[in-house]
Formats: sequence, C-alpha cells, structure tokens
Amino acid sequence: MKTMKNNRIWIGTTLVVAMLAAAPLAVAGSDDNKNKASKPDPMQVVRGAKAWKNNCGRCHNLRSPKELTDEEWDVSVTHMRVRANLLPLEAEDIKAFLKASN
Amino acid sequence: MRKTLFLSSAIAIVLLSAIPAGAQTSTSTEEGLSSANQALLARIEKLEAELVALRASVQQSAQTASAAKATAQSAVKTVSTVQKLAKVGAAGAYSGAPSDAKWHLAGYADVGFVGGDMPGPDSFVTGKFNPGFHFQYKDLLIFESELEFSTTSDGETTTELEYSQFDIPINDYVTLVAGKYLSPIGQFQERLHPSWINRIQGAPAGFGHDGVQPTSDTGVQLRGTVPVGNTRFTYAVALGNGPQTTFEGGVKLEGVSKDNNSNKSLGGRIGFFALPYLELGGSYLTGKVSGYAPPVGHEETPVTLAADVPVGSSAQDQARYTLWGMDAAYTKGALAARFEYLNSHRGAFFSPTADDPAGVFLPRLGMKAWYGQVSYRMSNVGSSDFIHNLEPVVRYGQFRITGHDVLREENAQDRFNLGLNYWLAPTIVTKAGLEWRDFRVAGVPSETLYQFQIAYGF
Ligand code: HEC
Repeated sequence: MKTMKNNRIWIGTTLVVAMLAAAPLAVAGSDDNKNKASKPDPMQVVRGAKAWKNNCGRCHNLRSPKELTDEEWDVSVTHMRVRANLLPLEAEDIKAFLKASN
Repeated sequence: MRKTLFLSSAIAIVLLSAIPAGAQTSTSTEEGLSSANQALLARIEKLEAELVALRASVQQSAQTASAAKATAQSAVKTVSTVQKLAKVGAAGAYSGAPSDAKWHLAGYADVGFVGGDMPGPDSFVTGKFNPGFHFQYKDLLIFESELEFSTTSDGETTTELEYSQFDIPINDYVTLVAGKYLSPIGQFQERLHPSWINRIQGAPAGFGHDGVQPTSDTGVQLRGTVPVGNTRFTYAVALGNGPQTTFEGGVKLEGVSKDNNSNKSLGGRIGFFALPYLELGGSYLTGKVSGYAPPVGHEETPVTLAADVPVGSSAQDQARYTLWGMDAAYTKGALAARFEYLNSHRGAFFSPTADDPAGVFLPRLGMKAWYGQVSYRMSNVGSSDFIHNLEPVVRYGQFRITGHDVLREENAQDRFNLGLNYWLAPTIVTKAGLEWRDFRVAGVPSETLYQFQIAYGF
C-alpha cells in the first residue's frame, strides 16, 4: 500500500513538472513562427542538405524533396524530428533544404 | 504440392512482368527524381569541398595579398552558386505566411502471398492498410496517430490503434511524448516495422506480437538528443502502464488504456552515434506484472498454464519483469547492416483465477531473441536500371523461451531469411523471399515458406 502511494506521488510530480516545463513553450513557439516567413538563408539550405543526407536515410530510403509540398514537409519533418531524435536546428535546416528543392 | 508450385510460379510471373513495367514508368518519373537528388547531392558535396578550400585560403590570405584576391573571387563564386542553388525550385516555397495548423496524411499498405511447407494452405494475404495522421499546431506540438486495418483468416476486418501520441518539444534537447506510443526499446518496432521500411515480409522471430520486444505502451516519454563534439547521444525514457499477463500465462507487451496494477514500468533506450551512419544502442525495461485480468465485459476464466509449485517456493501474487538489450546499425550508402539482441525475465508468481483465488503457479519465464540483417542496394553495380533497383537481403535470428512449454513450442525457433527486393520508387518495393523456420522442439516440424509482398509507404 505504501509503495502504491509513493508511486502515485512520484508519477504525479513527474507529470506536473512535465506540464509546467511545456508551458513557456506556448509563448516561444508562437515567436518562432513569425521569424520564419522570410526568405531562406542559402547557408541554411546547404547545412540542411548535409543534415538530410546524414540523417534521413538511416531508417528508410531518402525520399525525394519533390514528394511533398512545403506544408507537408513542415509536418513530416517535425514528425521525424521526434522519431529520429534530431535537434530542432537540424530539423529547421532540413525543412529549408527540402522546401528549396521541391 | 503441384498446386503450390503452379500458384507460386504464376505469382512469380506476375511479379516479374510487373517489374519491367514499373521500371519503365519509373525511368520517366522516379529516375528523374533520384537523378535530381543525386545532382543536388553532387552539387552540395562540391560546395562543401569549395567551402573547405575557401577556409584554407582564408588562412593563407593573411600572408599574401594575391591569395586574398583569389579568396575574394572564390567567395563571390561560392556565394553566387549557393544563391542559385537556393533558388532551384524555391519559387513559391515561402509564398504566403505559414498557417498555424498544418496536417499531413501518410501511412502504408501491403499485400502478399505466402506458400510452402507449413500448416494450412498457400494463400494470398490481404496484408495491412495503416493510415497515419499528423496534425501540427505552430511549433507547439504535433499529434500523431496510426491505425491498422487488416483482415483475419475468417474474413473479419480488425482495426487497431497502433499509436496515438502528443509530441511536445520542451527545449532543444527534450521532447515530451504522451499517449500510446511505439515502444522505444530496441530498433525494430519504432523504426523498422512498416512494410515499406522492413526489408523482409515479416518481423524477425521474437520481434513481433507475442515476442520479447514490446510493441507499444501507454504513458509518457521524455526523449531527445545530446551532441557531444562530433558524436551524439540520443535517449528515450518512458514511464508506462507496462507489461501484463496474457491468457496463456505469457507476457503482454502492448499499450493498454487501463493499468491492472499500480506499478508503472520504467524503461528506455540510449543510442550513441560515433559516426552519422554508425549507431549503437542499449535498452532497459523494468516493471511488475500481476495475474491475468480478463478484458472488461469478459468474465472468462483464465487458463494460465499452471505448473507444480516447487517446494519452499516463496512466490507472491506479483512478479518483477526485466528486459535489457543491445542494438547496432550501420547504414552507409547502399549497405545497411543491423543487429538487435533482447533478453527478458519474469519471476515466478501466483496468478489468481476465478476457480482458484490462491492462484495458479507460473514459473519463471525467460525469453531472448536476436537477429542480424544485411541488405545491399545494387545502385552502383553495372549500368542497367533494372539492376540498380535490386536489393538482396539476408537475415538470421533466434528466439528462445524457457519456463513455458506451449509458448516455446509455438514460437521458439531459428529463422533464416533470404530475399530479393525490387524498388519501384524510394517507398514502393516488391519483395520475394524464402523463410526457413526451425522450431528446435522434438516433434514440431520445421517450415519452409516462400513469400511475396508489395508494399507502399505514402
Ligand atoms: C529513426 C528512424 C528514422 C529516421 C532517422 C527518419 N525516419 Fe522518416 N520515418 C521513419 C518511420 C518509422 C516512418 C513511418 C512512420 C509510421 O508509419 O509511423 C517514417 C516516415 C517518414 C515519412 C512518411 C510521412 C510521415 O511523416 O510518416 C517521411 C516523408 C519521412 N519519414 C521523411 C524523413 C525525413 C525527411 C527524415 C530526416 C529528417 C527522416 N524521415 C528520418 C523512421 C525514420
């Protein structure tokens, strides 16, 4: 019974901490989005191409940038960022490369 | 047997005749794409080389004025090339402000045929249709889910929720995952099981349902990456509802929506990249399991297979379950070599039944499995497009079970696969293969299967 209670307190605390940690993100997230509407930086495209080559063929074949639209790449690369444990900066570079090449 | 031969040759002919057709269409579309890719890669590599040269010349430029001039010229050249590259197809890429909510429909499907020396007749298999949904709100979160539709042998359609999770990036190094997720233990489930990724028709022995590798769990995960110099570590730590006891007294390693004991499982995986194409991983999972609990609405009595209670046994009504494993992947260019090993134990315990509240005794259960797989895409062999699209693959693995005779007889085996895949596009593959299953239990005959499959990831 005691372990059950300890367990609960522990899980509860973990969940609360995780939720609180996520909160500031709401603000940060919306800021990020605004900066993005500008033109792609050529160096970012080059970095993205390299990161794409190094990371995106590890589990499955590399897909052609032409397979998806810009908006689809946005979603899919976020999806892959989580699956492949990529850094957010790498994911942004990869998106820039894919969008510049589709 | 003759029928089998006839059927299989018919299928082989159909597959073979489909290939050149695919190859032809792919010359105009797919070939174009991949050569565009290659051109792009070649260009990038050239640019990288130029940048390195540029850096070297920057160092020298401090010494001589003429070197400085050359540097300036090459810098101008590099920048203009890079700008040109950025323009390739960029028209419209950034047109309009991005919308806040975006989504993407993806997934995969496969169909196939299985025949050979095995119980039951040769048959066409409907395979699976797995639609995947991804919804993203700004950079705040992404919700991803995948369903699996398949048809049972008696014609019923089954639907399963493969996973359904929120991914919330917390900072550069941590993402919070909450919901039902594919198990991060090992590699096969999380990364390789979709049929357009898997090089063989099925999972390695012990890596599918009723295996050692957990398929999914429900809970929370923290995951991310930590770069260290030129190398990097990746991690996933998961707190989930954890394993349960199956009807037969085995261990169920699938995400459930309601835990049957208050003890959560804790597990995860750490990966290490010495090089971008060489990954080593270690996994661990621990939790407690209780007796079999019938699903809500089913008052059936569990038939957990009881064994004699050893004299002096101090077994409880719960047992500890632990799993550890190692994996490795080398994926450079056309070559992919993978290895995974998993080893799990569940202690002895009493599983209560409706008839016997004291519980039936389930002895200690040990399960371990491993496989090694090598595939080679012949994209650099010869000059024929047909050959470039071929990919031979070989896989060998073993699955061992101790402490449960029925599970052992049904599942424990050595499994050897030989296959030849033909890629019509980067995510469309036709697979032809042979599978030998040696059950290694006296009286259980070994099986030889030939398998065909077409898979498409979209
Ligand atoms: C850790 C292994 C892994 C890596 C690395 C990886 N992918 Fe994937 N990818 C997958 C898996 C697994 C799926 C199938 C997802 C599913 O069906 O649940 C997938 C699916 C996809 C899809 C189909 C649409 C979707 O989002 O499901 C696209 C497109 C894709 N990956 C692109 C990429 C790109 C671009 C990269 C590099 C940033 C990448 N992948 C890196 C494992 C990986």
